[in-house]
Amino acid sequence: MSNIDENKLHQGEPEIDELTKDRYLGGHEYDGIRELDNKLPRWWVYLFFVTIIFAVVYLLGYHVIKSESVKKLFPLQEAEYTNDSIAIAKLRGANPEPTVDLATMVPLTATTDLAAGEATYKKICFACHGPQGQGLVGPNFTDQYWIYGDTLTKTVSIQNLYQVVITGVIAKGMISYKDQLSPVQIQQVLSFILSLQGTNPPNPKPHQGVKYEKIG
Amino acid sequence: MELQKFYYDNKIVKMFAYATIFWGVVGMLVGVLIALQMVLPSANFGLAFTSFGRVRPVHTNAVIFAFVGNGIFTGYYYSLQRLLKTGMASNWMTRVHFWGWQSIIVMAAVSLLAGFTTGKEYAELEWPIDILIAVIWVIFGWNMMWTILKRRVKHIYVAIWFYIATFVTVAVLHIVNSMEIPWAIFKSYPVFAGVQDALVQWWYGHNAVAFFLTTPYLGLMYYFMPKAANRPIYSYKLSILHFWALIFLYIWAGPHHLLYQALPNWAQSLGTVFSIMLIAPSWGGMINGLLTLRGAWDRVREEPVLKFFVVAVTAYGMSTFEGPMLSLKNINAISHFTNWTVAHVHIGALGWNGFLTFGMIYWLFPRMFNTKLYSNKLANLHFWMGTLAMLFYSIPMYWAGWTEASMWKQFTASGDLVYPNFLEIVTQIMPMYYMRLFGGLLYFAGMFLLVYNIYKTVKAGSFVAMEAAEAPALEREGARKAGESYHRFLERRPVQFMLLSIVAVLIGGIVEIIPTFIIKSNIPTIATVKPYTPLELHGRDIYIKEGCYVCHSQMVRPFRSETERYGEYSKAGEYVYDHPFQWGSKRIGPDLFREGVKSGPLYKSDSWHYTHFMDPRKINAQSIMPNYTWLAENEIDIESTPAKIRVMQYLGVPYPEGYDLKASADAKAQAEQISAGLKTQGIDVAASKQIIALIAYIQRLGTDVGDSK
Repeated sequence: MSNIDENKLHQGEPEIDELTKDRYLGGHEYDGIRELDNKLPRWWVYLFFVTIIFAVVYLLGYHVIKSESVKKLFPLQEAEYTNDSIAIAKLRGANPEPTVDLATMVPLTATTDLAAGEATYKKICFACHGPQGQGLVGPNFTDQYWIYGDTLTKTVSIQNLYQVVITGVIAKGMISYKDQLSPVQIQQVLSFILSLQGTNPPNPKPHQGVKYEKIG
Repeated sequence: MELQKFYYDNKIVKMFAYATIFWGVVGMLVGVLIALQMVLPSANFGLAFTSFGRVRPVHTNAVIFAFVGNGIFTGYYYSLQRLLKTGMASNWMTRVHFWGWQSIIVMAAVSLLAGFTTGKEYAELEWPIDILIAVIWVIFGWNMMWTILKRRVKHIYVAIWFYIATFVTVAVLHIVNSMEIPWAIFKSYPVFAGVQDALVQWWYGHNAVAFFLTTPYLGLMYYFMPKAANRPIYSYKLSILHFWALIFLYIWAGPHHLLYQALPNWAQSLGTVFSIMLIAPSWGGMINGLLTLRGAWDRVREEPVLKFFVVAVTAYGMSTFEGPMLSLKNINAISHFTNWTVAHVHIGALGWNGFLTFGMIYWLFPRMFNTKLYSNKLANLHFWMGTLAMLFYSIPMYWAGWTEASMWKQFTASGDLVYPNFLEIVTQIMPMYYMRLFGGLLYFAGMFLLVYNIYKTVKAGSFVAMEAAEAPALEREGARKAGESYHRFLERRPVQFMLLSIVAVLIGGIVEIIPTFIIKSNIPTIATVKPYTPLELHGRDIYIKEGCYVCHSQMVRPFRSETERYGEYSKAGEYVYDHPFQWGSKRIGPDLFREGVKSGPLYKSDSWHYTHFMDPRKINAQSIMPNYTWLAENEIDIESTPAKIRVMQYLGVPYPEGYDLKASADAKAQAEQISAGLKTQGIDVAASKQIIALIAYIQRLGTDVGDSK
């Protein structure tokens, strides 16, 4: 940078950069840094204009033009949510859950059902009842002691447990799962839970509730 | 014309350069630690001051304000003196600036680890440090403007335009976002609440990126790139246009951090469109940087400094394209709250800031020490390690972000969430966390090559503390001359230049912030929303202190996938008593905004929370949340209740008059109830312990609206 022609600078005559053939700006020299007189790159200017047009269209579409057809193209977040909800409701309508007759419900024994039940258990129940059903903050599923059985008939039926899953035990921290699990899924997971009877996992939670002879 | 003799102060440059290297090592080390904590919860060491929620802000603050901050000042003090042909106006101000800044960093690290935080990202420091930052910043800026006025060069160069814009804008951002009322010597509540606090915070947060990580570094780029390449700047006209467009547009873009959240739609839209309009002005800097290398590309192959610069400017170009894309609502709906954002910011931090700093250091030391760089080979190796490290870091994080978003949103054919258990998604991205850790380690290792190389260079050279120079005095010129462009005229009027940049940066903030504060319809009132009970308030302060917001958001967006998973979506009116807001920016764990809603999908019992805080892995073996055992040992700071309530009242939270004196009793009564409830579940914990307050707060979350459904 030492080869600046001082005379040319002061006369303001254009000086050409040898490597790029671009014109220097006279008088622009800062600690040896000089500046070229290049124009703004065309594509850069176009890009800038395109983004400005985008901005104008975006604001007009979302916030200024009130016509219904435009609003459909530019839905605000509340409208989007409504559309989403309608789509999910349709999905649910198109794939109705198989219904289950609670009165005649019995534990399932098919391996596919038990595997599906285990999957649900590992997704949801294990957090409070332990990975092997040994109980944690929730009660132990592997012993004969139950809280929500039928003391009159001295049985714990799948119907009794189904009711717990549907209503939850809010005071003790169990929520209702009626919105998260379908009736079939509940039947499957309860069948899995009942299959844990007598498995004796390590670190069991102490007995809670009453001892029942007939379980399932 | 008579030549005047003067000296360039290299000592201050050296001091800041050493500080840059030192804090770079510290900041990256802390980064590696928190990356390890993601895959190995025991690396939280079971201690309060080493737990992720407290350490992560140390990493962000150390990298931004300590490593990059000192990097700015290193290049700034070197270039400013030479571009103006004068020494600094005040030596004592430069020294106060240096030592003040370093003491701020030390105080920041200590106080953050001790749990003193405002809970606002990148602005976590408490009020006494905030005041010190403002004072030191003004000293730095005052000295700069004074030096500019004493210059021997008629016009100020584009690098200095960026320095001036940085000084004024950071001052405004810092002061407005740090407005807080103390209730104790190291603790305060911010004056803004909820939506307003969120808007101010992200106006600040986004522009901390803009005016701390971008504009000063563009200034450095404008000096060091042409110096290292020995080539002229490609286009002066482009400098002018992209500078003014950049600083004017940037300030508006903050709301893009709050898309689909409880911010008024119009403010979100402004955030989006101004981000899109930023592409060209940002790329103006990249073009001017890369095209300055025309005619010198052959040297890029040999010269490590230029290699670092080329990758830095390219990373800048990629980040500033990706950023606007992430501001589009449909892309943001996928990327936000995921690791995609983490990948995005690290392209900027590792690539743009890191590499520009490394290149600058490799260029500066041989010059200040009158020698050659000890080893170009080692510098080249550092370059390749760093470049690979960026790939190893960012690709897994992009992949993780995409995986998270897909799993969060996927529905079964029958309309249920495929992955209702959040933990399943966390477990899925574990391999990506491991790969990221490797990338981080590689980048960190590269840093040691720099340390060694600089050490050897320093050893071989002899330091020139005061570099002699001479130039004629500046002849004052008055009014604009015929044929002189307005901008050229402005370039010799630094004070007017500064005032004009203040105007440019104030407009966007004013247009977005003021209507959100004064127009009531922006935050519709919800009658069921009540202030926190004193115990919940204590719990909330513990939530903030432990940095829960670092991993958990409190913002359910209006998507079916979120209302299915978390419950009713968040409304602006629900946050009116949140000083500060706690919406978060990242979901390492699930959103907690509806955690307390008894009919919701997230509700857990007090005993569950107790067990979980003590040891999350007792409940979920794969959980990566730290243990919070100290919460069951430490006492609630019940003495502070009246002061907290009074500050809240002062900020407009409608506690009844005189409630400050009754609040402690209320807090104790509520705590006794929770403690008694836990006892029935076989958990024995005194009502005075912090965990009780935190449980009270968690169980309150989202219930003002969520339960009424």
